[in-house]
Amino acid sequence: MFTRRNALLAAPAFFASNAIAQIRRGDELTVGVWGGAQERILREFVSGPLEAQHGVRINYVLGGTTERRARAYAERGRPSFDLLYLNIFESRQAVRDGVTQAANTNVPNAQHLYPVARLGGFGVAFNPVTIVYDRRMVAQPMTSWRDFWRDDLRGKVIWPTYPGAQGTAALLMAAKVFGGDENNIDPGFAAIARLRPFPAIQASQDQLFGMFDQQVGAASVEFGSFTRSYAEARNPNIVIADPVEGQAVATNVACITVGTRAQALAEAFVNLHLSPACQRAYAERIYYSPTVNNVEFPPALAAKLVLGPEAVGKLVDFDWDVVIRNQPRWSSRFTREIAG
Amino acid sequence: MLAAFAAPLGVVALLSVQESSELFAPLSFTPSAAQYAEILGDRFYLRTFLNTLLLGAVVTAVSVVLAYPMALWLTRLPPAWKPLGFACVLVPLLTNVVVRSLGIILLLGRGGILTRITEGLGLGRVDLLFGWFAVGLALTQVFLPFMVLALYDVLEAQEKRLTEAASGLGAGPVVTFWRVTFPLSLAGLRAGMTVVFLLASTAYVSATLVGGRKVLVSGMVVLREGLEILNYPLAAAMAMLMLGASVAVTLGLAFVIGRSMPWLSGRGQGEAWVPPRALVLILEALGPWLSRLLLALALFLLLFPLLLVAVASVNNSPQASVAQFLGFTWRWYVAVWENPRYLSDAWVSVQLALCCVAISLAIALPASFALGRGTFRGREWLGAALMLPLALPGIAIGLGMLRLLQWFTALPPFLGLLAVHVVLVAPFMLALLRASVQQLDRALEEAAGGLGASPARVFARVILPQLGPGIGVACVIGFLLSFGEVTVTAFLTTARMQTLPVRIYAEATFSLENTVNAISTGIILLTMLLLWAVNRLMPLDRVWRR
Repeated sequence: MFTRRNALLAAPAFFASNAIAQIRRGDELTVGVWGGAQERILREFVSGPLEAQHGVRINYVLGGTTERRARAYAERGRPSFDLLYLNIFESRQAVRDGVTQAANTNVPNAQHLYPVARLGGFGVAFNPVTIVYDRRMVAQPMTSWRDFWRDDLRGKVIWPTYPGAQGTAALLMAAKVFGGDENNIDPGFAAIARLRPFPAIQASQDQLFGMFDQQVGAASVEFGSFTRSYAEARNPNIVIADPVEGQAVATNVACITVGTRAQALAEAFVNLHLSPACQRAYAERIYYSPTVNNVEFPPALAAKLVLGPEAVGKLVDFDWDVVIRNQPRWSSRFTREIAG
Repeated sequence: MLAAFAAPLGVVALLSVQESSELFAPLSFTPSAAQYAEILGDRFYLRTFLNTLLLGAVVTAVSVVLAYPMALWLTRLPPAWKPLGFACVLVPLLTNVVVRSLGIILLLGRGGILTRITEGLGLGRVDLLFGWFAVGLALTQVFLPFMVLALYDVLEAQEKRLTEAASGLGAGPVVTFWRVTFPLSLAGLRAGMTVVFLLASTAYVSATLVGGRKVLVSGMVVLREGLEILNYPLAAAMAMLMLGASVAVTLGLAFVIGRSMPWLSGRGQGEAWVPPRALVLILEALGPWLSRLLLALALFLLLFPLLLVAVASVNNSPQASVAQFLGFTWRWYVAVWENPRYLSDAWVSVQLALCCVAISLAIALPASFALGRGTFRGREWLGAALMLPLALPGIAIGLGMLRLLQWFTALPPFLGLLAVHVVLVAPFMLALLRASVQQLDRALEEAAGGLGASPARVFARVILPQLGPGIGVACVIGFLLSFGEVTVTAFLTTARMQTLPVRIYAEATFSLENTVNAISTGIILLTMLLLWAVNRLMPLDRVWRR
């Protein structure tokens, strides 16, 4: 009986404004998120305070985006997750597919969100994808996405695999600088094919850093944040470029599931994630940039982040509907024309 | 047990005959060959599929060549050194796959060890990284232990007097091996080849990490189509094709090796081919050196990751790496020790692995007698059917389980995970035990029975002591497999129950920290202790033969 009543309470909370659902002692929230530093920050700044304040229990299911998303789709409408974290394009698709909810107005801190972070749920961190390179292996600094096609980089580009945040950004930017876009992807594929043969194709940041350690190649496309940590810790020769065309937007998004029985608690969780303290911790520890406009940083740190409406506006965004619709076709093309 | 495997398999089979690839299309019960037609009609998929089978075959062959010297070396080790020998073999199974592939990169990379050797010898630079060679090497490294352990038990059980008799009759080591040792080890060879082929042809993680995405294998197609693009039907069809190929290979191996052991069915043996005398002399001169070289190669391949992991675990670098040593630190060990979650997840994993081994043994031991001694028709088919869970890539089982999550989450979490682990582990134990059972000396049982021992007493006093090493080896392998399982478990883990490998994997998907290596080093040390303890209780060789 208890669960059914809960479900009845949650349904109007989702459709109408949230007047009925409240957090009660003993409520439980299941959150699907990445492990490591992210789990540590969330426990410290979000679930710790929530548990202390409301007497609730927050459970984490740790894992990668792929499994989490596949599971949420399999459980559509009857989710075991109340809240899960996805990447930018997956989150917008999940809203369209009726798996997760769009952003609503019940999260007070969400009023500070930049517009681009309000799509597909609540954007909690900007983590843009950009050009990264080894300064020892290039003739001059890389300042444009076109620089991958320079002569001094011939045979030295480690291309990121597709699909994936890095590979998607790389493909779309290649199309863009050669006169195409997401609706006209051929110039992108043609340009990437010209870069062959690749010394390697990278499938993850850890793999790329291993390749940089071994000087397998000179340049690649990767998250600036992790690459900065890597460069500072063990390879000062790696440069995180800020190309003239802009960095490609990538966002971590908190997505509340359709059918959750802990709507109010999930919203409270997201609210704390968007709090200045939590956003600052993300920036200080892993160089994630805030998606809210009400956090201040010391200049040294600010220089390494994407801050302010102008910088956020310069991030290159795409029509993710088109991107997602074409993903199977592009993936198959990538495997045949670029890798393999 | 059957339901735990049959249900996901049924789902995958059903998904593979769907006509529509639409994500939320309702399940159709009218079978359609559309997905199969798409794969078989597409030369790219077909080539990937055949390449994968070829890769599996080559990895199996190389493992056989490397495993014989290694297994023979293990049987000759003094009893006190056995646990250490076993630990050497098991190292790759105990280290994180990411770290292992880092090892391959260090070995084959541009500034790597191999390149330095070839440049030193004036052979110029060879770039073997990120291609089929690297993938094959990585797979051989992980799966070699299975082959060695499968061979170890049958070699250890061999009558030592036979080789003495052979050398007394003038046969050198090579001829003795070829005419005595090798034929008598065929049962173990079959177990090893089956397991290694099935594992190598369904693996995809190593191919992803060291293939540099230039290498495409069937498992990656299943993963990409199934999980990244959410085209379940096509992924399911690919998985079913892999399953079909694996069953064919399992049966084929059983047939060929069965034919090579005519003495088991009492059939006569044809005239053996006698090589020319000169060839024998050359082989006898080269044989021992070749064997030593292969042993050294195998040991290096197995132990290299241990070195890397141990070094990385004290490396003062925020990301896991061994390419650069930034200073000595204990902080990763402290981090593991101070985080109660690692310990509690490890405890879940240990409980799960122990229960899983106990249940798997209870299933696999009777089954191995039925398959090893039974003479009923369809025995080989049953044997192949019991190996099915190995032949279906883990990722496909996960895919099938996704559809069943609603039912699955209704089970208590521990029982649910346990059922799946048993499905994954029992076939391995069965393959190993079946070979051991075939080696049993039935004359001893008959003698005991003739002297008035009851069947239970015969089992306890005659069969069990002979099977001891085989059971010990099977249990150790079973424990490690369950303890390390992550592919399927990652789909099934719930907020209330999490295993250590799933935690490590989740952290690695974000950023790989050296805590992983601290944990691996700890697990390797624990395994050595465990093996030592097992050896005290249940010796890994047959005590009365000493």
